[in-house]
Amino acid sequence: MSDARTLADRGTRSLASPMALRSTSGKITYWIVFCGMLIGFVVAFLFPIYWMITGAMKSTPELVTTPPTLVPHQFHPGNYATAWSDMNLAQYLTNTVIQAGGAWLLQIILCTAAAYALSKLKPIFGQVVLGGIIATLLVPTQALVVPKYLTALDVPLIHANLLNTPLAIWLPAAANAFNLYLLKRFFDQIPDDLMEAAGLDGAGPLRTLWYIVLPMARPVLGVVSIFAVVAVWQDFLWPLLVFTDGTQQPITVGVEQLAGNLPLNETLAALVLASAPLVAVFLIFQRHIIAGLGAGSIKG
Amino acid sequence: MRTAQFHRFAALALAAGAAVSVLAACSSSTTASGGGKVSITVNCEPPTSAAIDRKSFLADIAAFEKANPNITIVPKDEFPCDDPNTFNAKLAGGQMENVFYVYYTDVAHVVANGQAADINKYVGAVNGLNDIQQSTLNVFKGPNGDYYGLPRTNYSMGLIYNRALFTQAGLDPNKPPATWDDVRTDAKAIAALGKGIVGYADYSASNEGGWHFTAELYSQGGSMVSSDGKQAAFNNDQGKAVLTTLQQMRWTDNSMGAKQLLTIPDVQAMMGAGKLGMYIAAPDNLPTLVKQYQASYNNLSIAPMPGNNATLLGGDGYMFNVKDTADQIQAGIKWLQFEELTPGVGQFNYQRSAAAGSPVGLPEPDLWKGTTATTDDQAKAKYANVPSQNYDQFSNAMKTKEGKIEPPSAQQIYSVLDSVMSAVLTNKGANIDQLLSNAATKVNSLLANQ
Amino acid sequence: MAVTTPIAVRPEVTPAGGRPPRRRSRKLGTNLTAYALLAGGLLCFALFSWYPTVRAFLLAFQHTNFVGASHWVGWANFHRLFSDPEFADAWRNSFEFSGVALVLGFGVPFVMAVVLNELRHARTLFRLLVYLPVMIPPVVVALLWKWFYDPGNGLFNEALHALHLPTSSWTNSTSTAIISLVLVATWANLGGTTLIYLAALQNIPAELYEAAELDGANIFQRVRHVTIPQTRYVMLMLLLLQIVATMQEFTTPFIITGGGPQDATVTVLYLIYKYAFVYFDYGAACALSVMLFIFLGIFSAIYLRLTRNTD
Repeated sequence: MSDARTLADRGTRSLASPMALRSTSGKITYWIVFCGMLIGFVVAFLFPIYWMITGAMKSTPELVTTPPTLVPHQFHPGNYATAWSDMNLAQYLTNTVIQAGGAWLLQIILCTAAAYALSKLKPIFGQVVLGGIIATLLVPTQALVVPKYLTALDVPLIHANLLNTPLAIWLPAAANAFNLYLLKRFFDQIPDDLMEAAGLDGAGPLRTLWYIVLPMARPVLGVVSIFAVVAVWQDFLWPLLVFTDGTQQPITVGVEQLAGNLPLNETLAALVLASAPLVAVFLIFQRHIIAGLGAGSIKG
Repeated sequence: MRTAQFHRFAALALAAGAAVSVLAACSSSTTASGGGKVSITVNCEPPTSAAIDRKSFLADIAAFEKANPNITIVPKDEFPCDDPNTFNAKLAGGQMENVFYVYYTDVAHVVANGQAADINKYVGAVNGLNDIQQSTLNVFKGPNGDYYGLPRTNYSMGLIYNRALFTQAGLDPNKPPATWDDVRTDAKAIAALGKGIVGYADYSASNEGGWHFTAELYSQGGSMVSSDGKQAAFNNDQGKAVLTTLQQMRWTDNSMGAKQLLTIPDVQAMMGAGKLGMYIAAPDNLPTLVKQYQASYNNLSIAPMPGNNATLLGGDGYMFNVKDTADQIQAGIKWLQFEELTPGVGQFNYQRSAAAGSPVGLPEPDLWKGTTATTDDQAKAKYANVPSQNYDQFSNAMKTKEGKIEPPSAQQIYSVLDSVMSAVLTNKGANIDQLLSNAATKVNSLLANQ
Repeated sequence: MAVTTPIAVRPEVTPAGGRPPRRRSRKLGTNLTAYALLAGGLLCFALFSWYPTVRAFLLAFQHTNFVGASHWVGWANFHRLFSDPEFADAWRNSFEFSGVALVLGFGVPFVMAVVLNELRHARTLFRLLVYLPVMIPPVVVALLWKWFYDPGNGLFNEALHALHLPTSSWTNSTSTAIISLVLVATWANLGGTTLIYLAALQNIPAELYEAAELDGANIFQRVRHVTIPQTRYVMLMLLLLQIVATMQEFTTPFIITGGGPQDATVTVLYLIYKYAFVYFDYGAACALSVMLFIFLGIFSAIYLRLTRNTD
C-alpha cells in the first residue's frame, strides 16, 4: 500500500480532499503541517511540564543561573523526597483523596437517583424541579461564594458548622447540575418499552434502575465520575475558605500556602507531586476521557 | 402501597435522612471536659519543615502537661500561623482555636468583632506581666482597657543588608546607610555590580506593600491615620517622599531590579541567594534567611531604620476564643506564661536552642524591660552563637528610637496601599499625587465603615 | 451543550374521569419513590445553590459581619461600591480578561481542531498533549507560570533573550498583566475546547465537503461554508460558557499577581473576595455578587434568545 493511499484513506474524509492528499504537493504540505503541529504541541504543552519536572531536580544555584540549563548538570531527585516530607504532602494528598472520593460517591448516588427519578418516574412538579436545577447552570456559581460559605458556616435549620470537615466539599459537590443533566439525558434515551417490559416482569422502579438502567449507563457514569473527581481535585477558592485547619486542607491549598516558603526546587517538586496523580489517572483512562468529553458535551 | 414498596421507600427515606444526621453530628466543636480536666487547642505549632522548633515545642507541651496533669494541650499545626488572606474567614467561621495566634494588627479587629474573650480577671496570674514593655501590653488591651490577649514577640523594623555585597561595591559594611538618600546611593552602587544583583528590594503585594509603605512613612516622620483614627494621613509630603525615593531607585537608578509584585518569600530568596543588597525587615528575618535560604549569619547585618524618625513596631501574641470556659482561659494563660513569657523557659530557653544549633543572640524578641531585660540579655549573651556585633547598631538605636504601632484596620489599609506601591514600582510614569489621593479616599471610606 | 436544550414542558396526563383506586395508589407510590430518590440531591441544591442565591440578594441590603447584629441599610452597600475606584477597575479588568480570552481561547482551539482533524497520524498523541494541561490543577499552573514570567530570570524572558527578541515585563506591567494572565488560563483550558470542537468536526458528514468541492470551493471556502455552519451550535454554546467562566476568574490573578500591579488584575470575583474576607464586609460583597449575578443572567438569557431565534 502506497503512502498516498494511507494518507487519504485513513478515517473518513474531512476538509482536505483525498485527491489533494494523494498529489506530491499535497503530501509535502501535509507533512509540513504535521511536523509543525507536532513541534508546536511539544513546545507548548510538554516543554513547560518538562521544565517543572527537571527544575525540581536542579540544585538551588543551578536554578538561578543565567542562561538556564536545558538539562540539569547534576540531578537531585532527592528534592522530591525532601519536598514530600518537609511539606507533609502525604497528609495533603490523603485529604484530597478523601474529599474527591467522597464527592464522587455522593455525586454518583444522588445525581443518578435524582436523574433517574426525573427521567423515568416523572413525578409531579418534576419539570419545575428540573428547571430549578438547570437554572443553576446559567448563573455564576463562583459569585455565590460568600452566601455559600455562610451556609457551610451555619447550615440552616440544623445549625451545623461544616468548616474543616469533608462535608463542606461533599455536599456542594453533589449539587452538580451539569452531571445530573448529563445523566438525565442519557436515561431519556433508554426506551420506555424496556422499562415497561421490566415493569411487567414485576420489577419495581428501583430494581429496574439497578438491574437494567445502571448497567447500560456505565459509559456515562464513567464520564460523570471523571468530571466529579477532576472538579474537586482542582478546586482552590472554596477549599481555601472552608479549610482553615492545615491538617484538613487539600493539596491545592497546601501547595499555595507553602509555595515560596521553601527553596524553589522543592516548591517545584511539590507542584509536580500535586499534579502527578491526576495526570496518571488521565494517562490510564485517556481513551475514555477523550471520547467521553466529546460525546458528553455534544449530545447534551 | 404494597409492603415491599413501602419498605423500599422507607429505606430511601432513611438514606436521605442519614445525610441530615451526619450534618447534625458535626455541630458540636468545643473541647471542654468535666472532672477538673481541661483541654485547650493552641495553634502555631511549628510545621514539620521546622523540625527542631517543632521538637522543642512538643517537648515543652510534654513538660507542661507533666507539671499540670489536669491540662491537655492540643497543638494545631498551621502554616502560616496567620494568613491575612484567610484570617477573617476563619475568624468569622468561629474556627479559632481556644488559644489563637494573632499579629498585633489583628487584635483591635478581633476585639471589635467580639471574637476574643476578656481575660482581665485572669492576667494577674502571669508572673512576669510587670516586666513586659508597656507599649507591647497595650496592644492587647481593648477599648475598655481590659486585656484580651498576651504578647509573644515584639519587634521593630530595621534595614537588613548583605555585608559581602557592601564590600564588593566599595562600601563599608560597618557603615550602613543612615538616611534614605544614603540608601539610594548605596543601592545604586550595589546594583552596579551587575550579575542580576539588586541594590534594594521592596514588597508590593499580599498587603505587604502597604505594610512597608507604613514602615517607611513612619521613618519619614509621617502617620498613616489622623490621631482620632478616622482619616487617612499619608497624603502629604512624607507620603510623597516615601514613594519618590522608591520611584527614583526603581526607574532613575535602576537599582531595584525588574521583578516586582514581590512578597516576603521572594525577597528572602533573593537575599539568601546573595542577589540582594538591602531590604527593610525585622530581625526575625535573619534566622529564616539562614535556615531556609542558605544565607550565613556572618554575612548579614541589621541596621536601624533609615532616618531620624520613628520605626514601625510589630509583633505577635495569642488571644482567647470568646467561647472559652473560665477553666480554658486559665489553662491557656498558664501555658502562655510557661511557653512564651518566662525567662529561661520555652522560647527563652537559650541553652536548649544553642545546643540544638538554633540561633541565639538575635536582637529579638524585644519583650522585657528593667531587670528582666538585663537578665534575659545576659542569658542570651552567654549562649550566643551568632555574631551579635552585626546587630549592635540596631539594638542601640532601639533604646532611643520611637516605636510606633500599626494603624487601625491595618490589613485593610495595607491592602489599599499595595496598589500604590505596585503602581510606583511597575509603572514608570506613575502619578504619585494621584495615587495617594485615590488611596486616601478609599482608606477614608474604609475607616468610616468600621 | 446541556445548558441550551429547551426544557420541554410535558403536561402530565390527567384523565378527566375518576381513576380506578389501584392506579391512583400506584401513581402515589411512584411519586413517593421519585421524591425519595430526589431528596438527597434536592437537599444539596437547596443548601448550596438555591438558598445562597436568595440569601445573596437579602444580604446585599444589610450591613453584617455575622458577629454583631445585622441590620437593613437599603442601597448603602451599592453606594459604597460605586464610590470605590476599584469597583470600576474590577469590571473593566474582567471585561478585558473575557475579551482577550475570547480571542485566544475561542479562535485558537478552533483553528487547532480544524488542522488536527486533517492529520492522519499520531492522533492520540496530539489529543493527549493538548489535554495534558487541563489535568494539572489551576493552582499548580498559576504557580508554574508565575515562575516562567519572572522578568529577571524566568523561562520566557530567558528564551526571548536567547532568540535576541525584546523581553517583556509580563505580569509586572499594567499594560501586559491581563494578557499575561489570559495566556495562562488559555494554556490551561484550551485542551477541553479543542477536543469538543474535534468531536463536532468528526460529526460533519463527508458528503458536504464532497459537494462543496464539486462546486469548486477551495479549502478556505469549505471552512467558511461547511465547517463553520456545521459546528455553529457547539461554537455558540462554548462561547457562552466561556464568557460566563472567564467573568468569574479568580485563581490566576490571586496567585500570580495578587490583583496588582496597581489593581490591574483585580477581577470582579477577586473584589468580591476582598470585600468579604479582607474588608470583612459581607453586605458589600453580596451586593457585588448580585450585580455579577444579574449581569451574567441577563447576558445568558439574551444570548440564548438570540441564538435560538436564528436557528
